Order: sequence, then structure tokens, then C-alpha cells
Amino acid sequence: MDQTTLQVYAVLFVLATVLLVYTARYFQRRGKRRPQRRMLSGERVSEWTSGAIEANRPLHLALGGTAVGEDKTAIALAEAEFFYHIIQRSSASDIPPILSTSAPSSIPLAQDTVRRAWSGGDTLSRARWYPGDLAYAAAVTGMMEAEEPAAHILAGSFGPELALMIDSADRRGQGSLAVSDRLEGQAVAYAMADECLIGEELFAAAGAVTDDGRAQADAIVLDVWRALLIMGVTVVLLLEVAKRMPWLNWALVLSVSAILIVFGLLIYRRR
Amino acid sequence: MSNRTGRGQGFGIALSAFVAFAVGAVTALSLLLGDNPALFGDQPGSAQLAGLLALPADVLLRLVTIVVALSIVIGIANLLTTHVGRLSRGKFYSAVLLASFGFTVYWYVTRRGDTSLLEAVQVPIESALAALLCLSLLHGGSRVLGKRADIWGLLFVAVAVIVLLASTPIAELAPVQAWRDWLMRVPVGAGARAMLIGIALGTVVTGVRALLGQDRSVRG
Repeated sequence: MDQTTLQVYAVLFVLATVLLVYTARYFQRRGKRRPQRRMLSGERVSEWTSGAIEANRPLHLALGGTAVGEDKTAIALAEAEFFYHIIQRSSASDIPPILSTSAPSSIPLAQDTVRRAWSGGDTLSRARWYPGDLAYAAAVTGMMEAEEPAAHILAGSFGPELALMIDSADRRGQGSLAVSDRLEGQAVAYAMADECLIGEELFAAAGAVTDDGRAQADAIVLDVWRALLIMGVTVVLLLEVAKRMPWLNWALVLSVSAILIVFGLLIYRRR
Repeated sequence: MSNRTGRGQGFGIALSAFVAFAVGAVTALSLLLGDNPALFGDQPGSAQLAGLLALPADVLLRLVTIVVALSIVIGIANLLTTHVGRLSRGKFYSAVLLASFGFTVYWYVTRRGDTSLLEAVQVPIESALAALLCLSLLHGGSRVLGKRADIWGLLFVAVAVIVLLASTPIAELAPVQAWRDWLMRVPVGAGARAMLIGIALGTVVTGVRALLGQDRSVRG
């Protein structure tokens, strides 16, 4: 594919996304709400939030190494939106949550998120920067001892050092939710955290913890693109397979498809 | 008075949303359409036009690089402010951190850029933590089935065992190494790609939200 075609496709893709975002938001605003795909135990997050309020302990929200101004800017914005809704839920508490990051350029974003969601003051000191990787894990485990957060929501860019933080939280009886955009961190999150999100669920997590239609609309757009992608990949795969089967023809494919659709409709009507 | 404040706030939000939209749209168009003369056919001056279109993105991205590089100062200021605040509450470790910071800066300045202090302290401590990380991973791995007692948890443990066995230098386990290679090449490769594609889709949707001035950081 030459560069010109690629550029045209990229422009079309962005325009289609703009259209989808506006359409989804329009339907959500008009009250024709479609429930979001279940991905995260919203009850668990509520449990941690109310536990933090009752015990008068903060929540710890970690951005990890996600930096604003680099290729992970969109991830940082998605996390900030997710954290905004969690902080709002815990705004009845006396102690504001702690937001930690190992990317200095994310400090203003973290401070801004706490300031917007928290009305009780003392917000600037709640966004904290620690140096990256293992030093970050060491600093966070130290903070776990000193501040005793009720739970940890670790959503961002983490490597295997995530294991140190989750293990430390587990030993102190503090809950943990983890997701990472890095494969090593994601494996650790899956194996060790109480709750985990996978990959792009990070971008849809805000919709799972709030009734805000805009957050849910973005999650729906993501689902639509994913479904289209899966269909596209399946069609290409079937075409490739069909090339290797000389006995396969269009009449047979159409007949089988028709039978499957009829069966599907019958099952759907019975349910 | 409060009406005026509210109006002023509304204007500020509208202005920041407009600036975000304008800068985002210019950068996106410049990145998407710039630097490709073929896009404008064989017209004379198409190379100049393509270069001109690529210019705004180039300038803005350079600006971002400078701002990001300077943000380390914000990080250090944040760290010091936090620990000075904690020191006033009688936290001993904050005093150690502040003293270490001051001493390291003094050492670096007086010894003309000598980093031996960093190498003598930071590197061994990080190595020790890395060793501890190995234990934490093992501990976490051993509890997978306790946390996720389902087919996926079982699969996770089975794959981890195969990969661990294949890493041992035992000749009898050579077939396991073939399984490990297949696992890494096919399912792990496919899973990693699926995750990256998902993250790319999410990035586009979030990027569009920011581009339209709909992100909370500009929406207020």
C-alpha cells in the first residue's frame, strides 16, 4: 500500500470515528441508552470506595509511567477520566485519594483530575511523582505503609514491577485493580490483582463506574470498531481458507449461510 | 457577581475547548496530509506545499518535546514539596530523602558530574529489588488458582509451567522447548497483537474526544 492510499484511509478512519462518537453521544443523550458491556466489577469499586470512606483512609490511584506528551497521551487522558469518576464517588470521605505517577509530565494532569473531582481542598499535595520502574514500586510500597490506602487502582503503564506493589497491597489486606498497556505488566495484573482489566478495556473503564452517558458512548464506539475489526478479520480469513478448498463455491456458502441464519432466528425467537 | 464569575468560567471553558480543537485539528491534518507530494499530483510546487503542510505538526511536536523535557523540574519540585510537607508532620524517612537529595546535588556539582555515588547506592538497591521481584512473581504465580479458580486460571498456570520447564537446560525436556516456541510464536503473538490493536482503537477514540474539545481537561 503506497503512502497516499494510507493517508487517505487514515483520514477516512478518523472521520468515521468522529461520526461514530457524535452518533453514540446523541443516542445516549436522547435517553436511548444501551447498557455497556460488563467488564469490571462496579460493585467491587463501590465496595472499596465506601470502605475507604468508612475507614477514613485514602484510595491510591496510580498512573504508572503513562506520560502526557508522548505516544501514551491518550492512555493518560483515558485514565484521568476513569480516576475522575472514582474520586467523585469517594468525595464524601475526609481524606482525598492519592494519585501517583512516574512521568513528570503527568503531574499537572493528575493534579487537575483531583482538583476537578474533589471539592474538599488539599488537592495539590495528593498528586505525587516518584522515579520510574523499580524505584516507583519501592516508593509506592513505602507509601502503602505510611498512608495505608484502602485499595489501589493501578491503571497505566507498568512492567513486572507491578508484582511488588500488588504483593505488598495483598499482604496488607488492601484491594487491587490493575491494568497495563505493557504485556509483562498485564500478565502480572491478571495473575495477582483482585480485579483486572485487559488492554483496551482501560479506555472503556470510565463508563463502567459512572452513569455519565458520554463515557458510555465512547465505550460503545470502541465496541463498534472492535466488532467491525473482528468481522473484517473473519471475512479475510474465510476468503483465504476458501482459496485452499477448490470444492467450495458461492452457492454452497450462501446455502449454508441461509440455513445458519434461519437457525439463529429460530433460537432467538424461542429465547 | 457570581453570575459574572459563571460567565467568565464559561468563556474560559469555551476558549480552552476552541484552542484544543484548533491545535488538535491543525496537528492531525498536518500529520495526516503533510510530507507527501504525491498527494497533490504532479503539480509544480507540490513538494513545497507538502512540506508547508507538514510544518505545523513539526513545530508543535518539537514544542511538546521541549515541554516534556522541562517537566522533570515539575517532578522534582513535586517530590520535594511532598516530603517537606511530610517532614513537618515528623516523618523521619522524608528527612532522609531530603538530605540524600541535597547531598547528591552537592556531590554532583563539586565533583564535576561524578555519578559514582548514584552507581554505588542506586544500582545495588535496584538490583536487590529486582531479586525481590522474582520472589514476588513466584509468590503471585503460586496463588493464581486461588484468585482465579476457572479454566483461564488453569490455562495460565499450565502455560507458565511449560515456559519455565522449557527454560531449564535438561536434554530430556527438548520437546517442551518446541511447545514453548509454538506458544510464544502463535498464541502469545496473536494475543499481544490483539491487545495492541485494542489499545490503538482506544487511543483513536480518546484522541478524537480530545480533538473535538470534549475531554474533561478542557471541558471543565
